[in-house]
Amino acid sequence: MITCEEFFAEFGDYLENQVSPEVRKELELHLSQCRACHVLYDSSRKTVKIVTESSSFELPKSVSDPIIDRVMAKLRTGQS
Amino acid sequence: MSFLGEVRLEEEFGPFAAFQEALGFVPNLLYAQTLLPRVIEAQAKLESAVRSQGGAISRVHKERILLSIAADRHDTYCVALESKVLSLLGMSEGQIDDLLNDYHRADFPLADLALLQFCLKLSRYPPSMCSEDIEALRACGFEDKLILEAVVVTALAVYRCTLSVGLGPEADFGPRKLASTRIAPPRDVALHIPSPGIHEAARNKGPYVPAPYLSSKTFGPFAIVQKSHGFIPNFFRAQTLRPDLLEAELEAVDRILLPEDVLTRVQKECILLAVSAANLNSYCVAMHCNLLRGLGMPSEEGDQIAVDHHESNLSESDRALLDFAVKLGTRVSEFSRKDVVKLQTLGFTEEQILECEVVTALNNFANTIQMGLGIEPDFEPPPDFENKVHLSGGAQTPIQAGGVVHLVDTLQDTEAGLVAQAQSGKLEAFEELARHHGQLIYRTLTAILGNPADAQDAMQDTLLSVFKHIDGFQGRSKFSTWLVSIARNTAFQRLRRGKHFESSDEAVCNEERDFRPRQVRAWQDNPEELYSKSEMRQLVERGILALPANYRVVVMLRDIQQLSTDEVARQLGLSVPAVKTRLLRGRLMLREWLSPHFANRVKGIAQ
Repeated sequence: MITCEEFFAEFGDYLENQVSPEVRKELELHLSQCRACHVLYDSSRKTVKIVTESSSFELPKSVSDPIIDRVMAKLRTGQS
Repeated sequence: MSFLGEVRLEEEFGPFAAFQEALGFVPNLLYAQTLLPRVIEAQAKLESAVRSQGGAISRVHKERILLSIAADRHDTYCVALESKVLSLLGMSEGQIDDLLNDYHRADFPLADLALLQFCLKLSRYPPSMCSEDIEALRACGFEDKLILEAVVVTALAVYRCTLSVGLGPEADFGPRKLASTRIAPPRDVALHIPSPGIHEAARNKGPYVPAPYLSSKTFGPFAIVQKSHGFIPNFFRAQTLRPDLLEAELEAVDRILLPEDVLTRVQKECILLAVSAANLNSYCVAMHCNLLRGLGMPSEEGDQIAVDHHESNLSESDRALLDFAVKLGTRVSEFSRKDVVKLQTLGFTEEQILECEVVTALNNFANTIQMGLGIEPDFEPPPDFENKVHLSGGAQTPIQAGGVVHLVDTLQDTEAGLVAQAQSGKLEAFEELARHHGQLIYRTLTAILGNPADAQDAMQDTLLSVFKHIDGFQGRSKFSTWLVSIARNTAFQRLRRGKHFESSDEAVCNEERDFRPRQVRAWQDNPEELYSKSEMRQLVERGILALPANYRVVVMLRDIQQLSTDEVARQLGLSVPAVKTRLLRGRLMLREWLSPHFANRVKGIAQ
C-alpha cells in the first residue's frame, strides 16, 4: 500500500477528481486502510462543498446598482 | 561535413563508445552534434534504452521499424544507416529491399505487418491515431508493454529523421535505392483509416495503454520531475509500464532543456510550443503555454505563439528562430542548408542552431509519444488554438462538433460585440458589461484587499479605469481575464497607498514545505445542516478573509466565483501547478478554520 506521504502528494488532484484510474485505485485502497487520511479526505471534501455552496461575497444588487449608477453618471457628464 | 561545424571529442567520450559497442561504428549524425556534447549524451541515452535487450520487441523488429519510417520519410541518410545495421544483424539484402520498397511484399507474419503499419501511421500523421489502432494491435496478440515500446521506437525514428534533415550529415554508407512511389495503402490488416477531422474523438478515448502507479518515493526520477515542474505531467505517468525508457527520456530532456548556456529556457519552450502547435498537438501546446507562464511570460503572449507566432511580441530574430524550427519540425521537404545560413546571417551561432534543431527533434519525439498513447491533457489549451485545430479539420469535421463550436462562438460574439461598442464609446454597452461582470470584479477586489467594505469602495475606481483603458483590450485574452487584471492593479495601488502592503501573488509563494493538517477529528455526516444558510456564509467569509492573500485570491476565484483552475491560472498569470498548490493549501487552511464547528464531539474528553 502507498504511504500517507504518497497519498498526500496526489491529494489535491484527487479532490478535484483529476487522477487516472490507476492512481485512483491506489488512493482509495489507502483511504480504506488509513483512518487519518480518511478523516482528512472526508473533511476536505465537505469543506469544498460548504465553501462552493456558501454564495459568499455576493454583492447584493442594492449595493452594486448605486455604484454602477454613480460610475455611469460620471462617465455621462465626462462625455457631454 | 554536415551543415554545422564539428569538433573532435576525446576517444573515451562515453556515448561514442556506447555506439561503437552497439553498432560497430559511430554514425555521422552524432559527429554532426559535437559542438554540444550534452545533446549527444541525450540521444545516446534514448538510443541505448530503446535498443536494450529484455524489451517486448526484439532488436531486429525495432531496427525494421526504424528503417521503414526512414524510408517512408525519404530520409536517405537514415535509410543507408539502418539498412547497414539490419544487414549487420543478418537480414538479407532482398528482405531489406522489400522493406524499402513495399513492406507488404516482405515475407513477414501478419502480426509483424500490423506493427509496421501502426508505426508508419503514427509517424506520418500522429493526430489521426485512435483507440481502434491500439485494438488492432491487441487483436494480433500484442501486449500493452509492446505497444508502448512500439510508440517509443517510432518516436525515436522521428527524432533521428528530424535531426538528419536539420544537420545534413554525410552518409555513413553507400545510398540505397528507394522506390519513387512509396508504400502502398493498407491492405492486409484493417487499421483505422486516418481522417483529418478525428482529433476530437481520438483525444477523448485516451489513454490507450494502462500505466501502473509510481510515486516520487518509489521512482526516483519522478522526485526530480516533481521538483522541476511542481507536478508530474500525465506525459510521464502514462509511460510507467517501462520505467527504464521513462528514465532515459527524463535524462535526455534534462540534458537538452535545462542548461541555459546556449539558448535560454524561454527560447526553448517557445520552440516546443510553436512546433507542437504546428503539429496540432493540443496536449503539448497546453503544457508549454503553462511552462512559459511559470517562466514569467504573460498568458496572452503564450496563447498568441500557439495560434501564430508572427503576431507575437517576440523579437524579430526569435520569430525567425521559430520559423526555422516549425519548418524543420513539420515541412521537412522544404528544409535546406539555406535555412541554416539564414539564421547565421541573423546572428545565431552554430551552437544555437544546433540546439534549436535538437529541441525541435525532441519536440517531435514527445508529440509522437503523446499522440501514440492518447495521453490525457494536464491543462486546457488556449481557446483560440482549439478553434485552429477545429478549422484545420476542415470539411471532414463531424457536424455535431461544428455545432458546438458555433454555439460557443455565438456566446463569445455577443460579448465581443458589446466590447467593440464600448470601445467606440457607447455607454449602454459598457453599462451592460459592468453589470454582467460586477460580481467577478467585486470578488477579485475583496480577495486582494481582504475587506469587503474596501472592495465596494474600490469598485468605482476599477470601473472607471476599465472604461479609460478599454481601447487597450485587444481581444487576445478573454474580456473577463482582462477585467481581473485591471481590478488587481486597482487593488494593488490602493494597498500601496494605504501602506499596509501585503505582498500578494506577485511575491514568491512562501512554500511551507511541510504544511500538514493538524485537525484529525472526523466531521459530522451532514455539516451543512448544523447552521442556517446565513450563518454558514458568515463562517466561510470570515475563514476566507483570514487566509493569507496568496491563497485567498485563488480560493475566491476557484471555489467562490467557481472558475476553472485553468481560467484562474490565466487570470492571475500563474502556471496551473502553482494555482493547484495554492488552492490545496487554501482549502486545507479553511478546513482547519471550519473544523471546530463541524467536527464530532469527543465524548468524555474536554475540548
